[in-house]
Amino acid sequence: MVIADELAAPTRTTGGSGSSRLSIKFDRSVLGLLPIFLFLGYFLLYPIASIISSSIHDNKHHLTLSLYGNLFSGNYRTAFTGSFKLAFYSMIVSGIAGAIICWAVVKTNGIVRTITSSAAGVLANTGGVPLAFMFIAAFGQEGLITKLLLNVFHWDLYGGSFDLYNFWGILLVYCFFQVPLMVIIFTPALENLRVEWVEANESLGGSKSQYFRHVLIPVLLPSFISACLLLFASAFSAFATAAAMSNGSIPLVPLFIGNLVNGNVIAGQENQGDAMAMGMVIVSLFVIAAYLLLLRVTRKR
Amino acid sequence: MKRELAWLDRVIFAFAAFFFIAPLIAAAEYSVRGYGNKGHTFANYSWIIHQLGFSAALWTSLRISIITILIVLVLVVPTVVYVHLGGHRYRRLLEIVCLLPIVIPVVSLAIGAQVAMPKNLQSTSYELCFFYVVVALPYVYRSLDIGLQSVALSTLVEASQSLGADWFKTLTMVIIPAIRSSTTGALFITFALSLGEYTLAVLLHFHTFPTWATNISQENIYGSIAISVTTLGGAWILLIFVAFLPRIKSLFARKERVA
Amino acid sequence: MEIHGSTVEFRNVKRTFGTVKALNDFSLTIKPGELVTLLGPSGCGKTTALRILAGIDKDHEGVVEIDGKDMSAVPANKRNIGMVFQAYSLFPNMTATENVAYGLRVRGVDSHKREARARELLELVGLNTQGDRRPTQLSGGQQQRVALARALAIEPSVLLLDEPLSALDAQVRAQLREEIRRIQSTIGISTLFVTHDQEEAMAISDRVGVMNKGVLEQIDEPGKLYNKPKTSFVAGFVGLTNYIPAVMETKSSVIVLNQVVDISDHSVDAKKGEEVRALVRPEELQVEKASEGAVVITKSFLGPITRLGIDAGTPELIYAEVTSKEAKKFDTGDNVKISIHSDSVMVEYA
Repeated sequence: MVIADELAAPTRTTGGSGSSRLSIKFDRSVLGLLPIFLFLGYFLLYPIASIISSSIHDNKHHLTLSLYGNLFSGNYRTAFTGSFKLAFYSMIVSGIAGAIICWAVVKTNGIVRTITSSAAGVLANTGGVPLAFMFIAAFGQEGLITKLLLNVFHWDLYGGSFDLYNFWGILLVYCFFQVPLMVIIFTPALENLRVEWVEANESLGGSKSQYFRHVLIPVLLPSFISACLLLFASAFSAFATAAAMSNGSIPLVPLFIGNLVNGNVIAGQENQGDAMAMGMVIVSLFVIAAYLLLLRVTRKR
Repeated sequence: MKRELAWLDRVIFAFAAFFFIAPLIAAAEYSVRGYGNKGHTFANYSWIIHQLGFSAALWTSLRISIITILIVLVLVVPTVVYVHLGGHRYRRLLEIVCLLPIVIPVVSLAIGAQVAMPKNLQSTSYELCFFYVVVALPYVYRSLDIGLQSVALSTLVEASQSLGADWFKTLTMVIIPAIRSSTTGALFITFALSLGEYTLAVLLHFHTFPTWATNISQENIYGSIAISVTTLGGAWILLIFVAFLPRIKSLFARKERVA
Repeated sequence: MEIHGSTVEFRNVKRTFGTVKALNDFSLTIKPGELVTLLGPSGCGKTTALRILAGIDKDHEGVVEIDGKDMSAVPANKRNIGMVFQAYSLFPNMTATENVAYGLRVRGVDSHKREARARELLELVGLNTQGDRRPTQLSGGQQQRVALARALAIEPSVLLLDEPLSALDAQVRAQLREEIRRIQSTIGISTLFVTHDQEEAMAISDRVGVMNKGVLEQIDEPGKLYNKPKTSFVAGFVGLTNYIPAVMETKSSVIVLNQVVDISDHSVDAKKGEEVRALVRPEELQVEKASEGAVVITKSFLGPITRLGIDAGTPELIYAEVTSKEAKKFDTGDNVKISIHSDSVMVEYA
């Protein structure tokens, strides 16, 4: 599942009722938090704690970090490199394409705006198996688009190195939900650009390129980077789409873990899989932390 | 920046529209192809329904989705409302807690589930319900939070109390009507998520509709594509409908006001 | 810092947006060092005129000149005009000092010189200690001071202010407008100020131009505008006005509130006995206690004066103003007699 556009617009808590007015409720509301804390404690924290625990023990139940060490070599390293590469390229392509589309979207309003924003919402949450199959249908060897490109543009998609099932194919599919996600996340940043800044720049004697250099880019850069970070995290963690499309040829961490689960691997290596899973959590944590840090910087402005 | 759409913007929109709509149309075309690429027919769609396991898988997914939204309704909604009425400090804490699942990749959660959960829980497919609640939590929270804030629930409750209503009356006549639409939205998101979720289901070896659909792709790729087209097309139509709902509502409201 | 005051001239400027005439045959001259305010309700064209002078709005007919030079070929960023916007115009990624120095930066002034100049200007607007703050760390009033400093840093020939105080609290507004006036007259820069607040306009301007629906109805010194309004719109917009039903007595006099009063203008062509409306300012009315007749309905304490709302049988309450000391004599429910204490009144069709 795609990482939430939730992080794109973190809920802001505006001033609620002062605690003094509903003083009895104030103390009791701690209890109100208890059920959900227990729920998440058991169904979220406990599983994660379990794999932390198992990932730092080897087969003989000795405490060790070797399983993490293994991630830096061999097939594991290839998998991580592959995932990083995919996430990175996806981030760059979708980030830029999304920003361009944003720039056009921001100028619309009314019914066109409603259509584009709801379309973006729908597309960003399109993922997994249906998405993969849709692309297989469209871009596969017998796909309509493949045929169209061949007959109309004389472009044989499969003549070169393109293959829907290789790295570039999966990248294309990822862009399908990453670009709308970028549009959703980044539009608010563009909307915050004030027309007064353009006019002030003009009245002060600045040219358009000076405006770009001194105002537009510095103001937008943090938001752009933080949006890209979300894209990275989302692409890195995606599983279903890759699983449905891959024929095992592409090294990706989630697929690797999937294989371990399906028993396509030597027994006694379950803990290694847990280390991989924790590796994913750690990467995700870093990226989200960087995102939150950048968010604070932009909020300060 | 000028607010009129230059030709460049129209070009951008045209390209974007093409890239995103074309695959669906292509897939739809593919799904109505006859066997061996000859002719067009809806046979693939009827083929799906007659496959072994179709109704079982679909029913399983529906069951799981219903239980999931029940859990959300019973556990999450009251919590968010309760804390919203309570204090500022705890609202912030709840927000952080509810956004936590975003940080954990679903794959890792699945692995953790396999390691941590007791065997008896793992044998029933209801295990998925609990994890789906976890995965849906950020979306649910945001939907509820936005709705609650826009309604200024605490103010309404205070007003109700100052007018003499007891807790039960306030609950039924003020709170529940106020949260109805945002709750519906949250449940809708959860339901959609549960129906389409693949990762947890496949890694925990359950047989839900998405996993079944992926499996039969080995046999009949056209059939799987037909399912995908249905799923996607249906989801798109529904979500666009939901997005346009406020406009449709205001259209009716305007008519009423004029009359 | 002294600036050579420039002459600004608008000649027959017209601007239409679709079918709406935002400016209709607008002509105005700003003398060197003068502060002229354009005053009017929203949509009257005052901001349009200002933006045309700034060069931001380019599609207009008519001529705009600064110091005799036609501006039609000169783009906005070459007009050497300082502009202060209503809000949000400071660049958020720069400190106050950097914002003020920006105009100099784009002109290639080296960093030492421009920083020194920026500090000079921040001191002029009283913010020399806030130079390293970012816009979000400054209050609304402080932000507008920075905006003013920034506009003046480039030593413009004309200063434009587009409702600079409208987004601020009342107290800050009153304070800041005095400062703007002080700085403007010290430097001697020709200034065009736009606002919908008539108190603001009257308080600081050399001349005020009242605009309505794209037309400049009257431009005069504040006192003349108030005491001798040329049209009923101006009379109604500037200061409080009572519209009292009256009857024509002769071609140049009218019976209002049982008194015969001369008419000050001759824009109304009516016969004896025709019903019209007389425009009377609250301070032109005298109120005396009486045994019967008109009744005091409301009494509003406004500090030095008190405004009495009186029911004299007319469709709307008549507002009279007396000193608060005098107002102690009157209570709501009292009977009073109102009389007009003015040589003449303006009259308009009923």
